[in-house]
This record gives sequence, C-alpha cells and structure tokens, in this order.
Amino acid sequence: MNPLGQIVSAVDAYNAHVASEVRRARVDKKFAAGLRARWKKISSAIETTHSPTGTPLPRLALPATDEPGAIAGYLLGQGLPGEFPFANAAYREMYLDRGERVGPALAAGPSESRKAARRPAAARPLNSAPAAEEPTRLFAGLGLAEDTNARFHYLARHQPSTRLSTAFDGPTLYGLDSDHEGVLGKVGEGGVALDTVEDMERLYAGFDLLAPNASVSMTINGPAPAILAMFIAAAKRRFGPDGVARLRGTIQADILKEVQAQNEILFPVDASLRFLGDMIAWSTAHLPRFYPISISGYHIAEAGATPVQQAAFTLSNGFAYVELLRARGLDVNAFGPRLSFFLDCGLDVEYLVLGRVCRRLWAIAMRDVFGASPRAQAFKLHTQTSGRSLIAAGFKNNLTRTAVELLVAYLNASNSCHSNSADEPFTTPTEEYARLASHAQAILLEESGLFKHTMDFLAGSPGLLALERTVERAILDVFREIDSLGGVLPAMEHRYQRSKIQEAAHRYEQQINSGERPVIGLNRHVGASLADARAAPVPLARTPPRRQRFQVERLRAFKKKNAPRAPEALQRLESVTRAGGNVFAELLNTVEVCSLGQITACLTSVVGKYRPMV
Amino acid sequence: MSVASPPRLRPAPLRVLTAVPLCDGHDSAIVTINLELARHGAEVIYLGYHQAASAIARAAVQEDVHAVGLSSYNGGHRVFFREVRAQLRARGAADIPIFGGGGGTITAADARVMQRSGVDRIFFAGTPLAEMTRAITGDYARELRPDAKLRGDRALARAITLAESRSGLRPDPRKTARQRTRSASFVVGVAGPGGAGKSTLIDELAARFLRARRSRRLAILANDPSHPETRGAILGDRVSALYAQDERVFFRSLATRGSLTGLSAAAPAAIEILRRRGGFDLIFVESVGVGQESDPFRVFRQGEKLVDAVLFVLPPHYGGRIQLQKIALLDGADLVVLNKCDDPRASAAKAELGARLAANGRNQLLHTTIAAQHRDPGTDALCAAIGRLAGLESAGGEKPCHLCIGA
Repeated sequence: MNPLGQIVSAVDAYNAHVASEVRRARVDKKFAAGLRARWKKISSAIETTHSPTGTPLPRLALPATDEPGAIAGYLLGQGLPGEFPFANAAYREMYLDRGERVGPALAAGPSESRKAARRPAAARPLNSAPAAEEPTRLFAGLGLAEDTNARFHYLARHQPSTRLSTAFDGPTLYGLDSDHEGVLGKVGEGGVALDTVEDMERLYAGFDLLAPNASVSMTINGPAPAILAMFIAAAKRRFGPDGVARLRGTIQADILKEVQAQNEILFPVDASLRFLGDMIAWSTAHLPRFYPISISGYHIAEAGATPVQQAAFTLSNGFAYVELLRARGLDVNAFGPRLSFFLDCGLDVEYLVLGRVCRRLWAIAMRDVFGASPRAQAFKLHTQTSGRSLIAAGFKNNLTRTAVELLVAYLNASNSCHSNSADEPFTTPTEEYARLASHAQAILLEESGLFKHTMDFLAGSPGLLALERTVERAILDVFREIDSLGGVLPAMEHRYQRSKIQEAAHRYEQQINSGERPVIGLNRHVGASLADARAAPVPLARTPPRRQRFQVERLRAFKKKNAPRAPEALQRLESVTRAGGNVFAELLNTVEVCSLGQITACLTSVVGKYRPMV
Repeated sequence: MSVASPPRLRPAPLRVLTAVPLCDGHDSAIVTINLELARHGAEVIYLGYHQAASAIARAAVQEDVHAVGLSSYNGGHRVFFREVRAQLRARGAADIPIFGGGGGTITAADARVMQRSGVDRIFFAGTPLAEMTRAITGDYARELRPDAKLRGDRALARAITLAESRSGLRPDPRKTARQRTRSASFVVGVAGPGGAGKSTLIDELAARFLRARRSRRLAILANDPSHPETRGAILGDRVSALYAQDERVFFRSLATRGSLTGLSAAAPAAIEILRRRGGFDLIFVESVGVGQESDPFRVFRQGEKLVDAVLFVLPPHYGGRIQLQKIALLDGADLVVLNKCDDPRASAAKAELGARLAANGRNQLLHTTIAAQHRDPGTDALCAAIGRLAGLESAGGEKPCHLCIGA
C-alpha cells in the first residue's frame, strides 16, 4: 500500500480509537476517575488574567465539562494546545500577552521539562519556543537589493522583531540573470532582483541576522539551493563561518507545488527533488535553526484550488517529501522538525478550520505511519491572507477582506501570518498600504482582546467541530484518489492536481460571473468601484529602467571580476552533479564566483530542463 | 495549391494564440480564458507560461492566428508587449492584433502607453468573463485570405490555413507520397494512444536533429481533437515543446474539426504543402491519441500512404497482450517504440510487444525509450534509426547517425 493509503487507514484507526476511548470513559469507572483527576489537575493549573476592564479570564479555555467521555473526546480528539493531535495549536501558548504565562506543569510533565532544559537552545521542546515569537510577517521585495533593504528597515521600525520576508523578481524566480535576453523589463518588478552573492550581502545589510529575534524568509523554489547557498555565503562574509549555525529562517523550496500550481521550476522533477534533498540534508546537519522547506498550499489555492484541495495537496506533498527524505536515509526525527507549512486563508467558510484539520492529520500520520517523535509531529503553519480574494474594483474593501482573513488565520492558531496590502491588485505594496497591513495585525493581536488574554478563546464551537469533521473526510477522499493513481508523483505526471486546480479555478470564475459567488464592488454593490480597476489609485512601485540597467552593469562587473575563477567553479559543480555528490555543498563554493544564471545554465547542461505541462 | 475544385465553404473557427510572458508563471487566468474561448468555439493555441517575445511571435506566425492574447501578472508588461509587437512586425505579421490583461497590474495609464505601441486591447480587472469572450470572438474573427505579399513561414502558414478552410480536398490518390514530389523531406507519422508520450518523443527527436544539423529545418504538424459539440479546441502541444521552440522548426497545430481519422482533414494537404516548400529534412506528423482500429496515415490503403514511415508509440501500461493483438497499426508501423521504460511494467511489455512484432515477420525493430529522461540513449538509437530510414546519415553509414551527434 502507498503511504497515502496507509495514512487514510491510520486516521480512520485513530478516530475509531478516540471513539472507543470515549465509550470506555463512560463505562470504565477506573478509567473515568483517572481522566477526571487529570482534567482537574489541568484545570487547576490554568491561571487567571484580567481584561483591561477588570473581567477575570482563564489563560486557557477548556470545554466546560467534567463528563469523562467529553474529557476523553477533547484530550484525544483535539488535544491540549501543544499536545497530540495538535488540533488546537502546535504550541502550548500563542499570542498571549507577555509577562503573565501559565506554568510549565500544564502541557509537559516535569520529567520532560528537565530533559528539555538540557537540550541546546536550537532544539528547544515544542511548547516553549514560540511564546516569545512575534507572529507578524511582512513580505517585501522590490527593485534592487538596496531598495528592498531600505523597505526592510522601514518595516522593521514597526516591529519588535526582525522578520525579513523576501520576494524575488521574475528573472530570479526562474534562475535567470538580469542580463538574460528579453528579461530587462522584468528586473526588480514584483520582487527584488538578485543575481549574485554581493546582491545578497546588500539585501540584508544592517540587520543582525544572528540575533535571537531575527529571521529571514525567502520565497523562492526552483533556484532555491543556489539562493540559500548565496545567503549562507553572504552570512559567512559578514559574521564569519561560526555564525552560520545561528541563522534562522525559512526558504520555500517546494518543488511539488511548483509542478502542480505555481510553475516556477527549472529542472526535471527528479533532478529538482535531488537538489532539494541535498539542500535539506546539508541544512539538517548545519543549520539547526533554519527551515529548508516550506510546504506550500498558498500557490495551489491562488491558482484556483478549493480549501479542501489546498489542504489535501499540501499535506500529500508533505508526506511525499517525508518519504523521499527517508529514502535518502535521513532520519524522520532529524528532518521532521525542520519541515514547515504555508497555507492561504480566504473567505470561504472551510478556512475557519483548515489549519486545525491539517495539524491533526499531519500529527497522526507522522506518529502512526512514519514513527516520528512529538517534535516532528507538529505542523508548523505560516498563513498568508488570500491575494486572489483582493480585487481592484473598490480596492479599499481589501482592507476589510484582509482583516477578516487575518482573524480566521489566527483562529487557526497560525504560527506566523502575513497580511496582504490592499493595493496588491495593482502593484508591489506601497509603503502606506504595507503599513496598514502590518497595523491590522497589531490591532487584532495587541489592541483587541480576542487573542491576548485566553488561549483557544473560540476553539471547539459546535459549528467548527462539525466543519472540521466534514473537511477532514473530504481531505481523506482526495488522499484516496491520489493513492489510487499510485501516489503524489504518478498523480502529478497524470496532471491530476493541475487539472483539479484548473477545474476549480474555472468554476470560481463562472460563479463570480453568474453572481452565485458575491464579490462586493464587482458583482454586488458595484456603485463607482469599477473606476478603481482602471485608475490604480495608488502610486505604483515600479523599477525605473535606469535602475534595471544599473543592475545589469553591476552583474557584468561581477562576472568580469570573477571570469578567471568561474569556469573552474562551474566545472567542479558539473562534476559533482554528474557524480551524484551533494550539489548543495558544492554550490556553497560556486556562488562565491558565479552568478545565479551561470549556475542554472551549468546544472541544466547536466540534468536538462523541466518540461512544462498545460 | 494544385487543387482546382471550388472550396467547400464553412466558417473557419477563430484561432487565437495565448501565452504568459517570460519569467511569469501566473497561468490561472489564461487557462480559464482558454477554456471559455474553446467553449465558445475558438481554437486556442496555448503556448504556456514563461514564454519569450520571440517564441510568441514565431508561434503566432506559424499558427497563422487571428490574434495573440497575453496574460501578464508579474510586471514589466509595457516593455514586454512592445517587444512582442516588434517581433511580430519583424516577421511581417504586424497585422496580427495583440490583446491582453493582467488584473489590476495593468493600469489605464499603462494601457494607453501600450496602445500607442501597437497593442490592440487591454482587459482591465473586473471585466466579466462573458464580456471578454464576446469581445475576443466578436472582434477578431475574420476570413484569412490568400496574400501574395506574405513571405517565409507566414506564407507557409497561410497556405495551410487555406487548406484547413477548404478541408475535404485530398491529394491525388493515384500517386504515393514519395512519387508526388521529389522533395527531400522525409515524413514520419507518429501515432499511439493518448498518454504514450508522443509529443515528448517528437520534441526530444527534434532536439537531437537541431543539435546535429546546423543548416536545415524540420516541421511538426500536431493534430489535436476539436470538441464535437462546441467545435472549439485547446491545442496545447506547444506547451511541452522545450526544443521545438526554435527558428529552425516550423510547428503547426491542427484541430481535427470533426474529422474522425486521427488527423485533421487538412493534414494531407498540409503535408503536401510542407513537402513542396522544401527546406525540411524531416516532417513529423503527430496524430491525436488513436484507438485500436485507427489508421490515420492510411497505411492499409494501397497507394494512399500519407507518410514515408510510421512510428507507433506505446506506453508500458497498454492493458495486456490481448489489447496488443487488437492494435492494427502495429502491423503497419515501420518503427515501434515502447516509451516510459522506467515504468516497472516495461520489461513485461517489451517481451509481449517483441513477440507481437516477431509474429508480423516484417523485421520491425522495437525501440525502448524513456523520452522524458535527459539524454536518453534509447531516444538516441531511435533517432539514428529514423536517420537511416530518411537517408540522413553520413556517408559510409558506419559512424553514428549525425542526427545524434552531440546528444
């Protein structure tokens, strides 16, 4: 049986186990007494806090029950925050006001806490790491490296932590240099132009990337190994070789979703997966605080997938990576905790529970099918509000859409969130709307009382639980379908995911067209809003042609300077690639003297190009 | 055209080329629009995402389309659309209109600039799908007429367009393909069930051809089915053509427009046009995915064979020995290819297929390939075999086929 088939069986078995434990709790007096005693201990450990108006509130909301069946249903079916199966949260506490926190007795037993204390800082246990984390992320990337750097410094002024989330321009996403034929107009558009390790130094200049509250995220996939190698090389130049192990961040590097939805893949799938595996293997050993992959549903949803498809494809891709890495001989408990996830959050009702359902399914599969330890069971989720839901007509309504989506994302206990700027239908975010997007998060988390007093404030309502069950079943149905096609990779070859996404996108557009799917300002309450769609009522962030030419000149100077050393470096890269060595380890040398485009061309000469599908 | 009988007139469907610009993978909008246009009876030749301006203009010329539609979401649209316009002009195709869209990324100010540089129309964010479809199918449909001023690929493409609109014309059945002309073109008909990997195989063969021969060209005629009800079609063979997107390749997509033979009714005439035009060492004609009884290249009709050689491609999952017995074209194929040989079922399939061919007693050679694999040796060998059949190998015949040099 394929792993997806096994996973479906494991989830069914786990659900049956929960149901039987609930029944046992109702008939087995000894079992019931034990549950009640544990429940009492948990409840009594919950501290009380106060709202600004003086209303006392518990730090954790639990179901109001002492009925043993209900207790068993909650503890096994959902789990306390930070506990298997993690439906409520990957961590014990999230978003709560700093300063007053629940004691450690709640989630981890004392023995586990002692063990945790002996672990190095980089491998802290689940439940303690994120309490001090700021979940707000803002994606930026425009113009040349120094332009994006300036934007980062501007954004960082509004944040207590340094969270540098980076978008790259089209040529970079396709592994091309800025001087490649026909790309000049695209240089610095929609993201930052990055050709060389020197650009990488400029990109994060002035930030202490080794600080505990600093992290970098890079949204790039096809050329991810070369880009991460440049990042490491630039960090070595600046902080010395010893700094590398302290770098924190995430690189997207999700090849499967590129094939299925986003179309930014350079090499054939097997070669791309090998380069990815090389990168993850190296990172697992040398970058203990870095997430070398962000398994992404975002682009799957943006390309048109329904929420259920998004979750099902993302999870199944995640399981495919686990299998691939295990097949390379890597230990699931070594790389498992370094896997992270990225989902879209739109306005469809299923989004109310998507994160919860994904965490639960991931945990059950990782534990019961792949034998992973608790740290590798937690589904660490970054959420971004839906770009597709934002429209040009009456664009200021996008502020409201994003705010609602952000609320839903935090109700799903996302570990970090990016909120889109309202002007994104027109342009790379302008400063004004980037600031408003950032403040939306602050209003929700700091100003409002929704998240800062009580963990799980709104979790577990009857509507949510009913929806969770439905969505979970629908996801398992998709798993079965993929399984019947032979698994994720064979299904991909048959265009299964692509055709499902395209069908859903077509249906969505038809629904908007017919009015069945209301979009305010577009097919309802239209008024004058359509004028926005043409006028672009914001200043556009575009890269002036002289800056584009400057990037090309700078790149040419780099190539000229390194011309004596580049051929040998590329030769070495080629032979390592041919010989089946770790390409990522070699890239760390290559990037010192070669540009991204030179590297892409070299690897293409060995492994060929990716052949696109409709 | 040597045909004298009056053309059977029928309204030719609108042909539109759609693409997403270089360094842009946002294909969701264009895929939806492709579906809508096809649903309204248009033939959409889809080129795919991340496409260079030169590739778009080349395809527009070779496909002889009524209009080019570009969907750009990644910025740089002012420059890119202008470049496509310039490329079309340079190919004598300034009359092909360009339309486009990019949600809110293309503003009214952009559109004014783009229209000044020759872009016909920009659809702004919020334009209803129905309105867009109506505008495209209404504004761009027109009769494409013979035009003595057309040169090069444009003239060739127009001749094929005219053959398509007069389909039903057939070349003289009394002459065989080789007798009809003395052209040096060697025509290979490629057939096989859907999913066998025909397009990939042709593209890989094209890659080897292009690498080996610097001077001459090759042509590809890709047949795809029209929808029986709407008459529309999405012709997507160019999407996965990595190497056949080249100045030395003339690539034309043909919709079957109701023909049930596995080829467009205009395919015989199109082959004839390509042969006469000369300059093509090889012409590949790809049939639609064929059934067991199909004979798209008229192998079994005495004296009417359309091509010089038939290449039949099968995947290992053809469904067992009994199914194999039923495939008529296995008796008439000159080259039989078992593709996707990295599939675990390949070795059993190879044995069954070998036995099937041995029973034919025609010395048909079975080739095993993994066309999707970079530098697949099986595809090299197939390329050499085609080279021998086509008389393209170098003198002496001992050296490897020069089609494959440098593969």
